[in-house]
Amino acid sequence: MNSKSISGNGVKGRLTLTLKSRETLAAYAFLAPFMVFFSIFVVRAVVEAVRMSFYDWHILRPMRPYIGIDNYVELINDKVWWISLQNTVVFTALTVVGTTIVALAAAVAVTRPIKGQSFFRVLLYMPSLLSVGAVGLIWVWLLNTQFGIINYGLSFLGIRPVNWLGDPGLVIPSLSLTTIWWGFGFPMLIFIAGLQGIPEQLYEAARIDGGSNRDLFLYITLPLLRPTILFVTVTGVISHFQVYGQPFIMTTGGPGRSSYSLIFYLYQIAWTAFRMGYGAAVAVCIAVIMAVMTSVQFIVLSRRIEY
Amino acid sequence: MVKRLTLILTLALLVAMMLVLSMPMSTVAQDAEPTPIVGAFGGGETKISYWNGLTGSDGVTMNEMLAQFADENPEFEVTSEIIPWNTLYAKLQAAFVANQPPDLILMHASEVPQFANFGVLMDLGPWYAGNGGWFDENDISEITYSGMQYQGVTYAIPLDNHGRGLWINTDMFDAAGMDTDPATAPDNYEDWVTLMQAVTLDADGNNAADPEFDSENVVQWGYVVGEWPRVNFLSALAQHGGEMVSEDGQVTVNSDAGIAALQQTVDLVYEHNVSPPPAGFDTWQGFASGSVAIIPTGTWFRNFAVDQTDINGMAWPQVQFGEQPATWFGIHAFMLPASSTPEKAEAVQALLQWISANQATWAGSGQVPALLSVQASLDAVNYPSNILLGQTFTEYGILDYTSTVTQEMYAALDPELDAALNNLKSVEDALNDAAERMQQVLDRAM
Repeated sequence: MNSKSISGNGVKGRLTLTLKSRETLAAYAFLAPFMVFFSIFVVRAVVEAVRMSFYDWHILRPMRPYIGIDNYVELINDKVWWISLQNTVVFTALTVVGTTIVALAAAVAVTRPIKGQSFFRVLLYMPSLLSVGAVGLIWVWLLNTQFGIINYGLSFLGIRPVNWLGDPGLVIPSLSLTTIWWGFGFPMLIFIAGLQGIPEQLYEAARIDGGSNRDLFLYITLPLLRPTILFVTVTGVISHFQVYGQPFIMTTGGPGRSSYSLIFYLYQIAWTAFRMGYGAAVAVCIAVIMAVMTSVQFIVLSRRIEY
Repeated sequence: MVKRLTLILTLALLVAMMLVLSMPMSTVAQDAEPTPIVGAFGGGETKISYWNGLTGSDGVTMNEMLAQFADENPEFEVTSEIIPWNTLYAKLQAAFVANQPPDLILMHASEVPQFANFGVLMDLGPWYAGNGGWFDENDISEITYSGMQYQGVTYAIPLDNHGRGLWINTDMFDAAGMDTDPATAPDNYEDWVTLMQAVTLDADGNNAADPEFDSENVVQWGYVVGEWPRVNFLSALAQHGGEMVSEDGQVTVNSDAGIAALQQTVDLVYEHNVSPPPAGFDTWQGFASGSVAIIPTGTWFRNFAVDQTDINGMAWPQVQFGEQPATWFGIHAFMLPASSTPEKAEAVQALLQWISANQATWAGSGQVPALLSVQASLDAVNYPSNILLGQTFTEYGILDYTSTVTQEMYAALDPELDAALNNLKSVEDALNDAAERMQQVLDRAM
């Protein structure tokens, strides 16, 4: 801006451009390391996967004939793909909704001024630190029909043992429950940050106007948390749509194919059948579905918030 | 005040849940020492990397043998990595692509065609005595020798025959007045059902043949259909004269023989009430906890039955549901990557010579040594299950299906068997669906 007072118009224009160019160059310079790695490890891989999906590509076979859209045609007619897609959509819906509700409730609870607030925050976040292997094994035992502590507890209520992971109607909700327990810690932290960002005077004004706690939550907290909810649900959908470890460890996709997820099926295609070409077609379709779902979420939830 | 109390109670409940959820970890922990996943044996300059899928108690025996080898041969260092079989096959593919395979691989004979077809296995023909080598092909069964080959080339050195048999709880048999002598095992479906009903009890002590029997409140199951259903099915299929793939390359799991074999198994659950549905039932823990009388398992069960349960048990031959006896078996075999250097191959050869010379020790894992001379030398007191089940493999064993797409075909078959056994599909629908997908796999491989 000093150039304004020092220089004439022509000089000022050149200097301004130069400064803009410098800023632009600096921005690109700062972005460059990321862009280099992103291009090599993501863009190139994505392009290669799309290309691979048009070939009959076995990982160890030197002959990889071009087959056009045959892999995609096979996918459309593949019954297991549709079963896996249905299972994954149900799992994702249950898990994202459940995680969002539990995380928000936990965040509200531990944002209150209570003794041991930090302790409770750490405690509730702790399951998120576990690996999927540990979580899967813990919950397989908890939900075990014969020896599980959950069925043991239910027996005191006179309820017969429930086949949590063996009943086709219960297996997806059971996997979802496991995942909610495991994964609500991180969105809880996001919600805590979101709650702390809501101006206190809004609540004070509402209380003066006679608003109840329920009104405050429904008409102040929830609307102002919409950006946070958008973030939590978008990242949740992206994450849970790629569920693999839980069905792999807890049910191996059963009973029958009742808990096959898309990534579970993709793994089978790629690493049991070693059909990388068909696997790539599956992966491309999964990516497209996720992109569409994310776009819809943005359109529905991303109304502008001002305060 | 009430709200504050509610909040504190809620948080206290969450804390209690966290504590309760930590309890199963101690339940999972077994008294028995777990098998190390990666073990290094010896400290010599000649290094051998070795991958296998011996995740069961047989892995303990293998590691003991490697430790003994390293003690006797201090110039070697063997790094052994135990990986679940399916993961091992996937990891091997990546390792071959990266040109960094292990120096030695233990796989199933059923995998020989697939990996040989890719050209990544070394021709081990020169190691056989017929070609001037050290391994005597006359000391293994013909079917075992054939399992080492693909298109006339020998790619593997066999370690054992391992396969299907039963393990029975002898106390439950005694209590039911049943004879525990394996020679008295029934040879038809109806008699097997009668036996299984006799050792299936409800909470009131009624057996499954009793009119008062409460099928909703069973405390002791006679049998469990959920223990690796595929090999049970393939055994029963052969007993009915069927086969998985016909000689002209047609998948025939949905033949009359296949439908009869699977229907009989399904009926054990839903008609005769002698087995729980497979989903959600832990068969090994069920046997170990004394709630299962007969478990269809295999040679590999020996160490678990002896070391990790208090059950008085013994091996029995495979059930016979069809007109003829038949039982599934497979072969563990050693293979080397085609990219092995001569020096590395020589080092691995020394290890394999030692293991082959000590196959009697491998019998301690429960598996049946591949060498016939070693099989004949086993004593009946220490190795009763090896001898009993080994004889059944020799007399009427059916070798695991070998092809370039075995795993993919099994991946198509397994969920359909599971669906039928869990009553999610009719037997015919499940086998028709399986056959359709398996045929697609087979046709693609042609």
